[in-house]
Amino acid sequence: MGRAAGRPLLYLVVAAVAVVMVLPFYWMVVTAVSPASDILAFPPKWIPSRLTLEHFTVAFAKAPWLTYYQNSLVVAVVSVGSSLLFGLFAGYAFAVYRFPLQNVFFLLILSTLMVPVQVTSVALYIMLARIEWVDSYLGILAPNFASAFGVFMIRQGIKAIPLDLVEAARMDGAGEVRIVLTIIAPLIKTTLATVAMILFLGSWNDFLWPVIVINSQELRTLPVGIALFKDPYGSINYGPLMAATVIASGPMLLAYAVSQKFMIRGIALTGLKG
Amino acid sequence: MRRLTGLLAVLAVLCLLPAFASAQAKTTVTLWYPAGDITAGAAHFADKALFAEFEAKHNVKVEAVGLDYDTMQQKIFTAAAGRNIADILFIDNGWAPGFLKEEMLEPVADAKAKAWLAAVSPEIKELSDYGNGRMWGYPQYGIDVYGLTWNKEHFKEAGLDPEKPPRTWAEFREYAKKLTKRDAQGNITRVGYAIRHVGHPHGIVHKHFWALYSAGVRLVDDPLLLRGGKAIINTDGGKAALKLVLDMLDVDKSTSLNFPDPRAAFLKGIASMQISETVSIKARQPKEAPDLKWGMALPPAPKAGDAPVSLLGAWVYSVPKQAKNKALAWQLIEWLNSPEKDYELCRKYDASPRYKVNWDKEPFKSDPYDQALKVMYPAGKKLPINLGFNGVMDAVGGAIQKVWHHEAPIEAALAEAERQANKAIADAAK
Amino acid sequence: MGLARLRSRHLLHAYLFIAPVVLLFGVFRVVPAVQTLLYSVYKVELLRGRFTFIGLDNFRDLAAEPAFAQAMVNTLVYVAAIVPVSAALGLALAVLFNTRFPLRELFKAVYFAPMVTSTAAAAMVWWWLYNPQFGLFNVLLRLAHLPDQPWLMSSRTALTAIIIFSVWKSLGYNMVIYLAGLQSIPQQFYEAAMIDGAGPIRRFWRISVPLLAPTTTFLVIYNGILAFQVFDQVFVLTGGGPANATNVVVLDLYRQAFERYNFGYAAAEAAVLFALILGITAVQYLYSKRFEVAY
Repeated sequence: MGRAAGRPLLYLVVAAVAVVMVLPFYWMVVTAVSPASDILAFPPKWIPSRLTLEHFTVAFAKAPWLTYYQNSLVVAVVSVGSSLLFGLFAGYAFAVYRFPLQNVFFLLILSTLMVPVQVTSVALYIMLARIEWVDSYLGILAPNFASAFGVFMIRQGIKAIPLDLVEAARMDGAGEVRIVLTIIAPLIKTTLATVAMILFLGSWNDFLWPVIVINSQELRTLPVGIALFKDPYGSINYGPLMAATVIASGPMLLAYAVSQKFMIRGIALTGLKG
Repeated sequence: MRRLTGLLAVLAVLCLLPAFASAQAKTTVTLWYPAGDITAGAAHFADKALFAEFEAKHNVKVEAVGLDYDTMQQKIFTAAAGRNIADILFIDNGWAPGFLKEEMLEPVADAKAKAWLAAVSPEIKELSDYGNGRMWGYPQYGIDVYGLTWNKEHFKEAGLDPEKPPRTWAEFREYAKKLTKRDAQGNITRVGYAIRHVGHPHGIVHKHFWALYSAGVRLVDDPLLLRGGKAIINTDGGKAALKLVLDMLDVDKSTSLNFPDPRAAFLKGIASMQISETVSIKARQPKEAPDLKWGMALPPAPKAGDAPVSLLGAWVYSVPKQAKNKALAWQLIEWLNSPEKDYELCRKYDASPRYKVNWDKEPFKSDPYDQALKVMYPAGKKLPINLGFNGVMDAVGGAIQKVWHHEAPIEAALAEAERQANKAIADAAK
Repeated sequence: MGLARLRSRHLLHAYLFIAPVVLLFGVFRVVPAVQTLLYSVYKVELLRGRFTFIGLDNFRDLAAEPAFAQAMVNTLVYVAAIVPVSAALGLALAVLFNTRFPLRELFKAVYFAPMVTSTAAAAMVWWWLYNPQFGLFNVLLRLAHLPDQPWLMSSRTALTAIIIFSVWKSLGYNMVIYLAGLQSIPQQFYEAAMIDGAGPIRRFWRISVPLLAPTTTFLVIYNGILAFQVFDQVFVLTGGGPANATNVVVLDLYRQAFERYNFGYAAAEAAVLFALILGITAVQYLYSKRFEVAY
């Protein structure tokens, strides 16, 4: 595919842009391992004079990382799990069935995305304070048990599947739940993996809601912990801050790698068309 | 199906894990402060043993929680709305007008306020008194004093006396011109004076307050009036204050919009002068510019004979109305801000004390930095406490930005700012 | 099985399947959102618990406020720039990464990497990179003998600088979603077209693009909704300045709510924004149903 002449040029462009893409990360990682004198030096050193792990030591000492990881993990796993499950069924319903008020419900779900979370957080917080869910896992999870993004994207993914498959299964006597779990889900594996990864990333990086709803230090999630290293107009703490960011990014790269395993071509449909 | 049940079971178990906030027999007094290096006065909260004595005496637990500074006001407001807030808030005194507008704070008991105001030095009194001896909190030690800092080496290099800072605006412009350096292409590599013109509008006003106030712009007609009043911005003094920097940008070319962070620029040696909180230069210089020789003085005044002006700021211990342990909270604050503790902590953390008696003790009596500050204090003013003041600052900050970015002429910008400021004051007074 | 009975059975399933999402969202998202929007017709004093009905006063104030008008304009410019650009680039990258070439997985990971950090953290890094004196970007420009740019320091370039950041941040996300869409297009379609003699460009426009219509719809709608509410990067990079050049609606309402404590006014801004987003989304959604094809 593609003419041989254009290929090397394209490759060059991709590589050049990739370098630009990676520049901020380069700076981040280099700052995390540069000695403080390099970071504060002017003009700044883009190649460290020597490598040091002192910022990681400082960062590790300054914050209970294990607690942060644990909290972030619990929240991410629960919210991604429930979002996928509920989203799978809801997406199927919106994609396959015709029912009254269908569009209304769908737009309703989408519309929850349209009011800025900065202000809805206040109303939600007041509500949760009344039922004493504030400062608990339940509080963080409350708005995250389902995901409009998940519902939407799964719906689009299921729409690409020919209905004949579903009809065939129904004729065989399969119940709807069975169909969704055993036939549809495997067919949209790629979509599900992508949704899972993006939801995981979203939960892992979610900052505003955990900041508002959590007071106890034992319940802090990673982004909240990292933010405490900030120093807006100073440059003193960039080393530990970048080290902290590097520490927090690990699992997400893992999530990305895992999800890439699910990128397979949809060849399962050949059977039907033949 | 089994996997589904399993998942649901896990979910159920996890959801039944209630708040990890321990169910203790002891009462817990919580305190919220900004984490990071936002203010030197918060450094002592990191000390786990700080409250040990108080905890033992009253048989309580004190939990100091560091919060993200950028979202702190939002969190405080939301928590107050949900009636689920800390017992003590360590807040920027600039936030007080907004909090008072929403009636979020408890006033300090009259008797205690009277005692405090009598025992502390004048600049602390200035910061604590909200009119008629009313106090809404206790200012922390190591207050912010805005001053001019200059690079002594650069002065020498430019043929200026390194011990003599500019005292009038005319001198200021002249010095800045001499201190500016350019490269072969004519680009500025070092500004004579670095200006703060981006970021939060309030910060911009803080950093230019010295010029506005000394030129007669009081921002509001009565600085101690909570409700109502008029904004005073569009005066000849205001225009002159804005024109000073505009001329330095366009005519003298001794400053530039490309040096956004004055303190960082100063510490890196690419700005010879800047005006902001002196305490932050003092704290950062040893680490960031250990060889820097710098001087500190009051900012210049418009003409010879005019009074220079500095801005005072502080972080304040306050108690919100929705706190659950108010009595304990006040006791803790009073204990932490007693004369003995003031002396102990200021010595430990190398800060300027608040009580008159402590100023007479060593090391403060002989410390050159503290004594230099003492000279500057009388010229210090605190910001007006009008309930609509946040809106006034937004308006003025916006006007300054527009003018220096050549988006609007001075007259129009100031007129618009005054209109907006008056609206904010009126809205808050309703 | 009779059609009527089938339909009624499916009705039950339909409502049952959407129930969890609708209920959970209903309680934890719709109710707070509706409450917030309702605040717009009140003078809200949340802490005193006092709500005074003032009708459309907040909206009148909004209309008279030039800062809000500018915030709307900035927001619209931002949306108009970022949605098509990141979708188009995402599609281009997805098509590219759908073919085989050396080090593909590495490059794919590199293009995806910006998604891994939070917007706020990445924006902090870019604040430093955009520094006119010693930020990496101007250093590189100088190396190439090009003039320095003020980036975030000038009201003329600040919004563009933010848009560049946002494109960088969202490229990987768009790419990954398009890739998922591409992966579900069966190979045989391409094979059949190749047999018919169609070249790669033709195959792209006649097969990939139409079959990716659901994905494109999704991305345009979803990214649009998010873009209208851009906040984190503006908050960190410029705080809305210089001179309101990058003030966007959500930042404006954030300040009104949590610094000026004009919660009713902020709610009115949210209401206007909501109406705008809902309108545009509804139009896009209904329009897009025409393009969803199946082979």
